[in-house]
Amino acid sequence: MNKNNTSRRDFLRASGGTLGVAWLGTQWPQLAAAAEHAHEVASGNADHAFKVLAPSQARDVEAIAAQIVPSGATPGAREAGVVYFVDHVSAGIFAQRAPELLAGLAAFQEDFARRHPGLGSFADASDAEQLAYLKTVDATPFFNTMRFLTVAGLLALPSYGGNENKIGWKIVGFVDRHVWTPPFGWYDERYAGFEPYAKEPRS
Amino acid sequence: MTARKFGPNETVDFVVVGSGAAGGVMARELSRAGFEVLVLEQGPRFTAADFRHDELDYWYNNALLNSLDTSPQTFRRTDKEKAQRVRDVPAAMYARMVGGSSNHFTANFWRLHEVDFKERSLLGPIAGTSFSDWPIDYAELEPYYTKVEWEVGVSGLAGASPFDPPRSKPYPMPPLPVKSSGVLLERGARKLGLHPFPAPMAIASVPYRGRPSCAHCGFCIGFGCEMRAKSSTLYTMIPEAEAAGRCEVRSESYVVRIDVDDRNRATGVAYFDRDKREHFQKARAVVVCANGAETPRLLLMSASAKHPDGLANSSGLVGRNLMFNTYSEVGALFEHELNEYKSVQVTRIVHDFYDADPKRGFYGGGGFDGRLGPNPIGWSLFSTPPDRAWGAGFKALLEAMPRAMVVASHGTSLPLEANRVDLDPGLKDAWGRPAMRVTYQDHPDDLAFSRFLQERGAEVMEAAGAQQVWKLPVVEATMSPHLLGTCRMGDDPRTSVVDRYHRTHDVRNLFLCDGSSMVTSGRGQPTMTIQALAFRAGDHIARFAKRGEI
Repeated sequence: MNKNNTSRRDFLRASGGTLGVAWLGTQWPQLAAAAEHAHEVASGNADHAFKVLAPSQARDVEAIAAQIVPSGATPGAREAGVVYFVDHVSAGIFAQRAPELLAGLAAFQEDFARRHPGLGSFADASDAEQLAYLKTVDATPFFNTMRFLTVAGLLALPSYGGNENKIGWKIVGFVDRHVWTPPFGWYDERYAGFEPYAKEPRS
Repeated sequence: MTARKFGPNETVDFVVVGSGAAGGVMARELSRAGFEVLVLEQGPRFTAADFRHDELDYWYNNALLNSLDTSPQTFRRTDKEKAQRVRDVPAAMYARMVGGSSNHFTANFWRLHEVDFKERSLLGPIAGTSFSDWPIDYAELEPYYTKVEWEVGVSGLAGASPFDPPRSKPYPMPPLPVKSSGVLLERGARKLGLHPFPAPMAIASVPYRGRPSCAHCGFCIGFGCEMRAKSSTLYTMIPEAEAAGRCEVRSESYVVRIDVDDRNRATGVAYFDRDKREHFQKARAVVVCANGAETPRLLLMSASAKHPDGLANSSGLVGRNLMFNTYSEVGALFEHELNEYKSVQVTRIVHDFYDADPKRGFYGGGGFDGRLGPNPIGWSLFSTPPDRAWGAGFKALLEAMPRAMVVASHGTSLPLEANRVDLDPGLKDAWGRPAMRVTYQDHPDDLAFSRFLQERGAEVMEAAGAQQVWKLPVVEATMSPHLLGTCRMGDDPRTSVVDRYHRTHDVRNLFLCDGSSMVTSGRGQPTMTIQALAFRAGDHIARFAKRGEI
């Protein structure tokens, strides 16, 4: 299949009606090249095979992430597949940091178990129990790392394993397009123009 | 005309170390003046098609920066501490590639004002600092600011700011289209009697000199421009230097030493190629434009029996007086959508607090702008209120991102001799060379002014009708992409490293030009001044060479 044609069609569809023909004429080669590239890196297929995390680790990572960006009326970290992101980057671009992450997770699990005897894992605890516990550890380096990984797993390119179906981008209202034309927002659409200053304030 | 390729034994007129904001200009000016120029750049050469919208890799995996594995750095606040190896973010942050940090910068392009050059005379000394006048004034640099605007390409509106210093020519391109952050900043600031104006940006607002205009993709800060609309030297000065037919840009060439002969003349530079083979490049003169951190490091690594404290360091000031500029943020949410992830970062700025005012009780000056900050991950992690860092409240903030903006404040840093770049006594890089050690602690006045400016930004957001306004903590700097002051210029060899023409006081055919030359920090957007200095230095160095005065 000719990938170029597909992405150029996508790009044209995305930008159709918003760009002047003359402007497109002068900018087209650069735009086409850039859009092609952007298309390639943004298309990641969900890969749900774990590479680093054991099942018990994955369950707790997912539960922590789901408290950092909870589901509710709209999807959250769980639906965005943040746990797969955490796993995949731990075998990929953050592989060097994986031992520290896993050590932090082990300490987290051990501490939770010690403070909640008989409850099982963090993932098995009730929502209220999870929240109460996280409030006691949310200043730790491990939690901070989990916060980073959750946000990154929500909003990084889907090719890293998270942001499934671009759920994260939908949460923050980010639209995956390569080119925009004004107006960009509600306020600039209504802007009357820059009014020059009448008087010099310089003394 | 095609780019020149020099043979291994050729002696070039000039070897330029570094191809960034200053090195690119220097290469163009010297080669156009008729000289043979070899530019040695430690990083690779990318094309526009190599750049990606990959926030994770670029911002959190340092894809465009020096690898901290192979080029480690250490950091400490004061001499009393042992410097620790930095882990995630370089203390001295710069893009490692042809075009250097002019690729990944935000492209704010403020000129210095007249006051920046003579503040020490106007305000008097500040105890414990090396606060000094520049040896040149604004009028001397003005033609070169204009040259930057036209040759490199800057969009803006001349005369819009009542605070702007005199200029000899308007901008070559109109300002970029205003964003909602700019409209709201302008609305709030005008209500308070301030004078917001369209931001000058080194981004093409219209097709310019064969480059396309901005596509408003929103990936400027921290990214290379896929459109070639950002006026990086990669797209502007470097190709023009090569087109002169006398310039070669040799990428993946890491310079580690400048040699000086018995007559105290630089003979050339030693560098490693991509395969870590060491070479020596002979040159009639050496111009170092390696940035405010790597330039002093290279001089310190070039210590010899004749220059035991580092090359060109008779003043003892090489690496000292490092200035970062301060940065603080106000966050705000509005009723309607701004969609700040689109287009360039900044479209309106406020310079009403540019000048220092002794009545405040502390030194400092600066400006602020409206923006989002670095893309969705960065805004979510760092620009949201710290008291809602996770949970349902945090998610509600994420969902409000389309209605969010940031007021970013940029201010002065005072020069302090204790703040510096030097060589770590223990740690080595992957080439066996001493790692960079950064020592930095903000002056109390810098932090006081940063808080002052942040307060003004918050007032502007309130006046603009924000539903929520929050101030992010103002913290002491531990890193910066602004690397200034470390080989300051001056007329007195005892108190400066280079003279007013960027020639080192100690070695006649060795010149330094980049952020290291700056005597004071300006108000936070140094690249414009670095490039104006480079145009001016290139002009003078070429004249010296033609007159046999090198």
